[in-house]
Amino acid sequence: MHIPDGILPIPLWALGFILLFIALGISLFRLRAMDRKKKIPLLGALSAVMLVAMSLEIFPLAYHINLSVAAGILLGPELGFIAAFITNMILALMGHGGITVIGLNSLLLGSEAVVGHTLFSLMQNRLPIFWRAALVTLVTLFLVSLLLISVVAASDLNPGYFFSGDEHKPVFQGEVSISRFSFMILALGSLGWAIEAAITGSVLKFISQVKPGLLSHILHATRSDAVR
Amino acid sequence: MIDVERIDYWAASGSGPFHRSSVAAKAIFLLLVVTAAVMTTNPYPLAAGYAVLLAAAAATGLPFVRMVVLSWYAALFAILYGISIRGGASLYAVMILKAITPAFAMLAFIVSTPYPRIFAFLSSVLPEILAAGLFMTYRSFFILLDMMKHFMAAIRLRGGFSPGSIVNNSSNLARGIAMLLVHAVERSERLYAVMAVRGYNGSMAEAGTFGFRSADWLPLGTGALVFSLALAGRYCR
Repeated sequence: MHIPDGILPIPLWALGFILLFIALGISLFRLRAMDRKKKIPLLGALSAVMLVAMSLEIFPLAYHINLSVAAGILLGPELGFIAAFITNMILALMGHGGITVIGLNSLLLGSEAVVGHTLFSLMQNRLPIFWRAALVTLVTLFLVSLLLISVVAASDLNPGYFFSGDEHKPVFQGEVSISRFSFMILALGSLGWAIEAAITGSVLKFISQVKPGLLSHILHATRSDAVR
Repeated sequence: MIDVERIDYWAASGSGPFHRSSVAAKAIFLLLVVTAAVMTTNPYPLAAGYAVLLAAAAATGLPFVRMVVLSWYAALFAILYGISIRGGASLYAVMILKAITPAFAMLAFIVSTPYPRIFAFLSSVLPEILAAGLFMTYRSFFILLDMMKHFMAAIRLRGGFSPGSIVNNSSNLARGIAMLLVHAVERSERLYAVMAVRGYNGSMAEAGTFGFRSADWLPLGTGALVFSLALAGRYCR
């Protein structure tokens, strides 16, 4: 889900930009030993795959997958986060998701890559690859949906902020119903998570059969890793 | 849903005033509209602003009908958020307009500006690796999209996609995506070799001047008008 402009309060999306800059800085710093000529084509290729996946609709639901978890598993957390940022930037440049909330949207999409990679590594070989990837995707998307709900909860808006004849006299008193928002997000998202989990599992199973080396972190190995 | 090819075609093939204006002017136009959407709490100035944008797009030959449809995608989150707030029709109107007005402005920007020019403009503020990543993604996207379309056509001809069959469709889609991923990684490895041989030195952005042009009156005037409407709605009571 891409947050549009004008919905969330300024301090929240400003904080989103600050956190994004910090996360990008950390990612770029950790990748400093990797050859730039290797990083850029990889980022371009995997970000493009994510965009292609997002442009495909699964009939009849008109739902689209992200592939952010798969990208995180293959690229590692740092490259996966940067790929998620690039994808989100291009989505914003297509009118999907706002400009002011690029920080928050990128953090959400990037979190899917980072959390997906972490959980996949932690599970090691406890399950067959399909079930391992599917379960990781399901858990990751659930956790990031909770993060989205937290972002909305942090907005804690008074509806009077949105509509008032006089900005000093709010017409409505009340709060955002987080329970209602959560119910909608979790209910609408759950079917999508299942589809994405199944597709991610199938994709990684295929890769494990055709190019198993890709699952061994070779894509984001740096020179220092190679020396070790 | 995302029709990047069509957006790219519109951006590269148009010749109206929006197309002739500079990237910097259009970026200012976008910022003015986004600022107007963020600061306003009244649906009427925003509705007027949306109408101004629509009129400007229609008058300058932009594909405004398609733009209206695409801008409403941004309303989805606003509607979900609006349902969560106990408010009336006016509140929903504000939230939806806050979402679709900047989205429409962004669409006006991208259907009149080729993406390489936008990335070149962004490269002045982004680190080189991110700017180059944007270029590379844009370049790879069309190649991979083409590959995916051929695959899907082949599957469809073999009866692999049937309406209503989510499991079958998802399974075949997954195979296509997996193949695409493997191709993408192999492509990136070949590209790495090409860049090494050709002596890539860390600069990929299109060099160009970002100065203002005579046609900039339109996006700057439109953005200023929308911003003024938001200011008037906020302070004139």
